Order: sequence, then structure tokens, then C-alpha cells
Amino acid sequence: MGKMKALEIRGLEVTFRAGRRPPVHAVRGVDLSVEENEVVGFLGPNGAGKTTVIHVLLGFIEPSRGEAMVFGMDVRRSIARQRIGYLPEHPQLYRFLTGRELLTYSGRLFGLKGGSLRDAVEHMLEFTGLGEAADRKISSYSRGMMQRIGIAQALINDPDLVILDEPTSGLDPLGRMEIRRMISDLKARGKTVFFSSHELSEVELVSDRVVILSSGKVVAEGRIEDLVPAGKRLEQYFVELVSDSREAVG
Amino acid sequence: MIKVLSIARIVWLEMIRRKDFYVLAIILAALLFVLLTADVFGLGSTPRYLLDSGLLMAWSASSVLAVFLVGRQLPSEERDGTIFPLLAKPISRGQLIMGKWLGGWLACAAATVVFYLLVTATAVLREWSPHWLTLLQCWTLHVCGLAVMAALALALSTRLTYGAAATTALVIIAGSVWMLPQVPTLTMYASGWRMDAMLLLYYVLPHFELFDMRRRLVHDWGPVDWTILARIAAYAALLTALLLVVAWLSYRHKMFRRSELL
Repeated sequence: MGKMKALEIRGLEVTFRAGRRPPVHAVRGVDLSVEENEVVGFLGPNGAGKTTVIHVLLGFIEPSRGEAMVFGMDVRRSIARQRIGYLPEHPQLYRFLTGRELLTYSGRLFGLKGGSLRDAVEHMLEFTGLGEAADRKISSYSRGMMQRIGIAQALINDPDLVILDEPTSGLDPLGRMEIRRMISDLKARGKTVFFSSHELSEVELVSDRVVILSSGKVVAEGRIEDLVPAGKRLEQYFVELVSDSREAVG
Repeated sequence: MIKVLSIARIVWLEMIRRKDFYVLAIILAALLFVLLTADVFGLGSTPRYLLDSGLLMAWSASSVLAVFLVGRQLPSEERDGTIFPLLAKPISRGQLIMGKWLGGWLACAAATVVFYLLVTATAVLREWSPHWLTLLQCWTLHVCGLAVMAALALALSTRLTYGAAATTALVIIAGSVWMLPQVPTLTMYASGWRMDAMLLLYYVLPHFELFDMRRRLVHDWGPVDWTILARIAAYAALLTALLLVVAWLSYRHKMFRRSELL
């Protein structure tokens, strides 16, 4: 029996319709798969459809066509999210809760209870270095602390697949380095990471593979060394590829 | 069930940590104090007048709290973007709806206890001797009515903005309380489609007046038969269940796009 794919998308199409306005084809027939214990960078210019694909994977949006599976389960079933950890871009969290309360709440939603819940909360507070701020309201947290508590709530269930939407967006170099270290750590622990980013230098450093999306279609997919010609940087390759694909669509 | 209770607990914590409840309780206490000290037309010394006015204010305050607390739950999650990390957890939309309603309803029920204590204490100061069983029945039916109001506000908020949902819910509640009991009389003077429309409204809209036992308490008519109370509670349960199903049907396929929400 073959190894189960952590994530598999087949023929995915998403079209948004709003009243009499013309429909918006956000995703046009995307096929992609991610193996277990892979780190995959999901790239594309603004409006390419990256966040829409991620939102389909998390059940926020239903596909117009095609299917998406996580560990062999249809993403439209809530149980499919049991093994997923998700960090949105600029995580927005309940500001009236303390960090500890938020993590306890997140853990309970994953079905954790009793000693295992307490252990998971303490472990995540220690992992993100928020131990001292654990009983402070989130409204008093700095931007970096918000990002860290966002990471903690995403990893509270020790997920097998971690989905990160622009995790380094708006972070200082130290924050970006912490995210990079976290991704490497997750990979070392056998986890699968699927993340979207505009920081191509970061992507180069941590990804096993990249998927490049433009105008709702996958325009390139593979290992960076296989895709990028010798002597070129990923950024240069990306700009040329996206410009070409836009011209083709236009 | 643990997931529903966890969501409900957060709604409860939100009520405790926001100012809405405290503001309403302070306003109620202030108005009761005014009623207690002022003696307009000699009514200040009448405990029934004080009780009647106090309970009306408790009804108004708890209705406003139920509509605003529950009605803002889903729209504020969407507006603030907290819906994304929340729905990324293994919870269904049905569990989310149930948790929000349950938390809001229980929080309002607890707030109503405080409101009743304030009113009762004030009336007792005017030498009212409370009939505890009637008071308990009055509170029970009031809380049943709040369950329906909370479900109504939640159902409307699945598709409307917070302001629109709260306003619509309050209009429906006020219309039901003041207009519906008059419909049987009005139908005697109407015919044709007007009568049909009035009867349709009469049977479709929730009858909140059924949950109002204030007059029995104020005029000391004694408790109602428990079977009647049970039937009205069953009516509230049925209406609440129907409204929650409507909320779930409206919300289960709702799409969330960051660009639209943030």
C-alpha cells in the first residue's frame, strides 16, 4: 500500500458569484499533492488564489468543482481538521482572553481534556516563550507576541499537517528567523508543512518543494534546484514565470 | 458536547468582561432607586407599582442583552477575523451555532437573576411580601422567552450585519409583544387578504406574551398550574429549535473570504 498523502487537491475550481456582478474565477483547475513530512512553499503574486486554496483546505470556502483531501479525508468534513494546525496571516484572536485561556479553549476544541490539555498548554507556552505573559490579556500583547500565541494555538494539538498563511508577513528579522526555525523543527519531528509566502529568500531556505500559482492556476511545481536554472535565484525565476503566465492569460 | 460547552464558555466570559451587563444593571439599579425615593402621585409607596415598573425594566434590559450579546457573536467573529482560527478547528458549523446560542442564553439567564434580585430587593424595601413560587415561575418563563429571543437574533445574524440583525430582532420582539395579542380583536374588523395576513402573522410570529407572568406576580394571583408552565416551556423549546435549525441551514455553507472580511 502506498504512503498516504498529507494533502491532495484534484481539479479544484472556485468561482465567486455576487449578485449581478460578473463571476470571479479565483481558482481554475488546481491539482497538487503534498507528501507526509514534506515542507512545501506555496507561492504566487497577490490575487493568484493562494489564500483561496488554503481556505478550501480549511473548509471556509466550498469548491465549485473538484475535491480536496487531507490525510485521505474530504476537507468538507470537520473531522478532517483534527490533524491540521493553522496559522492565519496576522492572526486575530480573542483580545478579552488571556494567553492561557485561549490555548485551553483551542485545546478543548481539538478534544483535549484533563492532564493532557494542561500539559499541552504548558508545553506550548514554554515553546513560544510566553510563559510569563500567559495570564495577561491578549489585548496587551505586542505584535510579535500575537504571532507567537497564534503559533501556539495552531500547534496545541500537535498537528501532523501545519498550514501557514504568510507566516512571516510583517515580522522583523528576528521574528522571521523564529518562524524559519519552527518550520525546520516541525520537519525534523516528521510533520508536514504547507505555507504560502512572498518572502522568496525564506522559502528557498526551508522548502523541500515549491508550488507556484498565477491567475488561479499552478504554473510550476517541483524542487527548487530542478525548477530554477543554474545561476538564477528563485526570485528572478518567479518574476519571469509569473509575468509570462500573466501575459498568456491576458 | 465538550466543544459546544467550550464555545459557550467563551461567550459567557465575553459577557463578564465587557461593560454591557454592568451598564444595564447600574441603569436598572439607578431607575429603581429613583422609583423608591420619588413619590409621584403617591405611587412611590405602592409596592405593586414599584414591582410592575421594575419587572418591566428587567424585561427590557434582559431582552436588549439577549439580542445584542447573541446577535453580535457571529458578525463580530467575521469582522474581527477570529472566525478563521476558530473554524480551522475540528468543529462543525452546527456546533458553533449551538455553542454561541447556549453561551448567550445562559449568560442572559444569569444576568436576569441579578435583575430580579434587584427588583425584588427594592420591592421588599416597600414592604412587599414576595410569593416565591410565583416569582420562580415568572423567572422561568422569562428565561424561556430569552431562549427564543437569543435564537432569533442568532438566526438573523447568520446573514445580516450585527446592527441589522439586532434591530430586526428587536422590531420582531416588540411587534410580537405589543401587536400579536391584539390580532384576534383586529380580525373581527378585517376581511379578505387583510384578515389572512393578520392570521398568518399571528400564527407564524413567536408569542412572547406567553412568557410574561409579571401581572400574576404584581397582582398576587398566585402560581400557574405546572402543566401550563410545562406546555409554554415546550413551546419555547420548539421555537428555539426551529430558529436554531434555520440558523444552521443559513450558516452551514456560508463562505468566508479574507478580502471581504478584513
